[in-house]
Amino acid sequence: MSTPLNCASGVELVMEYLEDVLPADAKASVESHVARCSRCRAFLESYRATPSILRRATEVRMPEQVEASLHAFLFDRRDGA
Amino acid sequence: MLVPGAEPTDEELAAGAAAGDESAFESLVERHQTRAYRLASRLVGAEGAADALQEAFLQVFRELKGFRREARFATWLYRIVTNAALMQARRHARRPAESLETFLPRFDADGRHAGTPEQLRAAARAEELVERQQIAGMALDALSRLPEPYRVAFVLRDLEEISTAEVARILGLEPAAVRQRVHRARLMLRGWLGDLVGGQP
Repeated sequence: MSTPLNCASGVELVMEYLEDVLPADAKASVESHVARCSRCRAFLESYRATPSILRRATEVRMPEQVEASLHAFLFDRRDGA
Repeated sequence: MLVPGAEPTDEELAAGAAAGDESAFESLVERHQTRAYRLASRLVGAEGAADALQEAFLQVFRELKGFRREARFATWLYRIVTNAALMQARRHARRPAESLETFLPRFDADGRHAGTPEQLRAAARAEELVERQQIAGMALDALSRLPEPYRVAFVLRDLEEISTAEVARILGLEPAAVRQRVHRARLMLRGWLGDLVGGQP
C-alpha cells in the first residue's frame, strides 16, 4: 500500500528521490504524483537547476596575491620555527 | 616509502610531512589550496577566505602527527577548512541578515503548490543571470543568509560536489541529516532565485 502523496509531502521527499535512497513504495508514489502534476514538474525543474546556478555564480579563482601570502605565511613561519 | 616516478597519494605525503619532509607539506598545500580557497570563499566570502585558509593549513601542519592514516586526508582537511571558515564567518558577521526562510515553497490548505507552473519554474530562468554574470555577489550574500548548518551542507554537497556520504564524514553527521540540510538550503535558494526573476516560491 503506497502512501497517498500531495505536493507538500512530495516536496519533502525530493532530495531522497533524486539520490535514489527512497523505499520502493515511496519512490513509486513520488513518480505517479509527478506524472499527474504539472506544478510538481515545474517545481522539480527549478529545484534541480538551483545547485548548478549557485555553483556557477560562486565559482572563484584564488588570487595570486592570496596564494603568495599563504605560502609566505606557512613556509616562512615553519622555517623560523 | 615513496615510489620514485609515481604520484604520491595525499596520505603518503601527509606521512612524509609528519616525519619532517618539508617538500611533502608544500606539495599538500599546492595540491589542495585552490579548492580549499574556493570552499572557504563560498562559506565566508572573499575577505574571510584568505585568513581562513592560512589558519586551516597552519592547523594541518601542526596536527599532521595526529592525523590517522585510516582516514582520508581530504576528509580531514576539508573539515578543518570548513571549521576555520565558520570561525571567520562569525568574526565577520555584520548586521543580522534577513533569513532566506521566507522563500520556502508555499502550499494551499490541501497541500497543493500555491504557484502556477510558470511561477514555480521561475528559478530555472535565473540561469540567464549567471550567463550575464549578474549574480555573483548576490549569490554569496544569499548563501550567507542561510542558517549555518544548511549553508555548510549545501556548499560541500552541491557547490563542491562532494558525495553525500563524504559530506557526512566531513561533518560527522548521518547521511540522512546531510540530505535534510541540503534539501532545506535548496528550497530556500530556489525560492530566492525565483524571486530574483519575479517568480513565486
